[in-house]
Amino acid sequence: MSRFIIPKHLEVPLGACLPAPVKEQPGMITGNWRTERPVIDHEACTTCLNCFIFCPDACWHLDEKTEQMVWNADYCKGCMICVNECPANCLSTVNELEFPDGVVRLEKPF
Amino acid sequence: MAKEVFYSGCAAAAYAAKDARVEVISSYPIRPYTGIMMELSKLVANGELEAEFVLGEGEHAQVSIAYGASAAGARAYTGSSGVGVTYAMECYSPAAGGRLPCQMAIADRALDPPGDFGSEHTDVMSARDQGWIMGWAESPQEVYDNTIMYYRIGEDHRILLPQFCCQDGYFVSHIPGKMQMEDQKAVDDFLPPYNHPHTLDPTKPINHGPQIFPDQGSAINVQRAVAFDDVEAVIEEVVTDYNKAFGRNYSPFVDEYMMDDAEICFFLQGGHARTARFAVNHLRKKGIKVGVARLRFMRPFPTQAVAESLSKVKAVGVIETNTSYGGVTRGGNIAPESRAACYNLDNRPIITSFMAGLGGEIVTLNEFYAMARVLSDSVKSGKANDSYWMNFEKEVLDTHS
Repeated sequence: MSRFIIPKHLEVPLGACLPAPVKEQPGMITGNWRTERPVIDHEACTTCLNCFIFCPDACWHLDEKTEQMVWNADYCKGCMICVNECPANCLSTVNELEFPDGVVRLEKPF
Repeated sequence: MAKEVFYSGCAAAAYAAKDARVEVISSYPIRPYTGIMMELSKLVANGELEAEFVLGEGEHAQVSIAYGASAAGARAYTGSSGVGVTYAMECYSPAAGGRLPCQMAIADRALDPPGDFGSEHTDVMSARDQGWIMGWAESPQEVYDNTIMYYRIGEDHRILLPQFCCQDGYFVSHIPGKMQMEDQKAVDDFLPPYNHPHTLDPTKPINHGPQIFPDQGSAINVQRAVAFDDVEAVIEEVVTDYNKAFGRNYSPFVDEYMMDDAEICFFLQGGHARTARFAVNHLRKKGIKVGVARLRFMRPFPTQAVAESLSKVKAVGVIETNTSYGGVTRGGNIAPESRAACYNLDNRPIITSFMAGLGGEIVTLNEFYAMARVLSDSVKSGKANDSYWMNFEKEVLDTHS
C-alpha cells in the first residue's frame, strides 16, 4: 500500500508520457512571438522544399493540389531560417507592422 | 549448461549483458569501463549477440541513445567511467523521471584533476539522487549476477527505473576471478523479455518529457518516490529468486562477515571488502572482535537493514572511497547516511568516515589495522572524530607507529 494520496487535479500519466498531438497543439500557439514574417513569391518559388526541411517548427508544407508552399501563421516564430535557406530567393522578410493582422497590432499578443 | 570461467569484471559485465539479451548497446570509450564495450563489440561482430551497437559522440549522447532505445521498446545497455559519468549528468533525471529502465555499467574512475585513472566512487556517487537504482559489486561473479538482477528489478512494472550497475575500476573491472556463467535458458527463465507499458508506436504517438507547469512537477517527482518506496520489497524478491535459481547466497542489502559477535566493524561497498575480510581474519587472531558489513545497494539506501546490521557493534568505520567536501562528517557520503539510518536506535554506534582508497589508491592491510586501532580506542573513550583522512591525519599516523 502506498502512503501517498495523489489529488485528482495532480494526477500525471506514468513518466509524464502524454498522448502526442498528431498535428497542432492549440494550447501552445507560438506565432505571436514574431516581429517579422517570411513572405513568399509563388512565381519565383521552385518548390525545392528547402524551407520545409529547414523550418524548426514545421511551418512550411507543400499543398499538392495547388502545388504551392503554404505557410502556417499560428506557429511560425519568425526565425527566418527559411529566408536564409531559400536558393530561389523567393522569400523575403517583412515586418509585422506591414500587415493589418500583424502580431504587434493584436490587442492581446500573448 | 552453466560453466566455470576466469573473467575480469569487464568481461563478466559483457557476458551478463549478452545473457540478458540486450538489444541496443551505446558506447563511447573511457577506461576502465571500455573493457566491457570491447568484449561486447566482439560478441556482436562474431554474431554471438544480436544487438544494435551504436557509437555515441560522447557520454551525454550515450545515455540519450539508451533513453531512446528504452522508450522504443529495446533492452538498452550503456556504461561509462569517471568524468564520462559526470558528463552525462543531464540525462540521468529524464531517464528516471520518464521511467525508462535502461542499464548503465559503471567501472569507477577518479574525477579530475589531474587526469587520475584510479578507482574512486565519487564519479557515480554524485549522481546518486537522480532516481537510479545503484549498487556495487565486489567480484566479477557479483558483477555478472547484479547485471542480470538489476534488469529484472528495474523492468518490474512496479518499479520501472534505470540502474547503475557499479564495480570498482581495476580492482574488480580488470582483475580476473573465477566465476560461474549461467545457462542461457536458465537466464531467460529468470529474466523475461523487456516489456514497457508504453513503448513508442507510430500509430499511437506519445510525448516523452513534455513541458509542464511548475505545479505539476511535484506530482511527477512523487511517482519516483512511490517507486522507491516499493523497490526494497522487489529487490528482496528478485535476490531470493536469483539465489534459488542459481544457487547463490546473496543477502539483499548488507553482506555481513563475522558481524554477530563483533564490537567494531568496517562498513563499505565494492571490491575493498575483500581486503577488509582478509584484515579481519588477521585481527581476529589477535583477539580483536571486528567484522565487515558490505553495502550492496546505495540507492535505495537500505535504511532498515543498515540500522539492524550496524546496531550489532559499538563503533563503525566507514571506508568511504568517495568524497563529500564540506559534508556532514567532512569526509564522504556513506557515513552521514549511515548515521541517519541509525538515528532512531537506542544504542547508536559511533560512526566515522575513513577517507581511504581515494584517487584509486589501494586500501592496504596496514590501513585497515590502523582503522581498527582507531575504532577500538573510540570504543574505550566513547568518542571519535567525524572523519579521518588516512595517511594524512596526525592521530592515525600516531597509531601506525
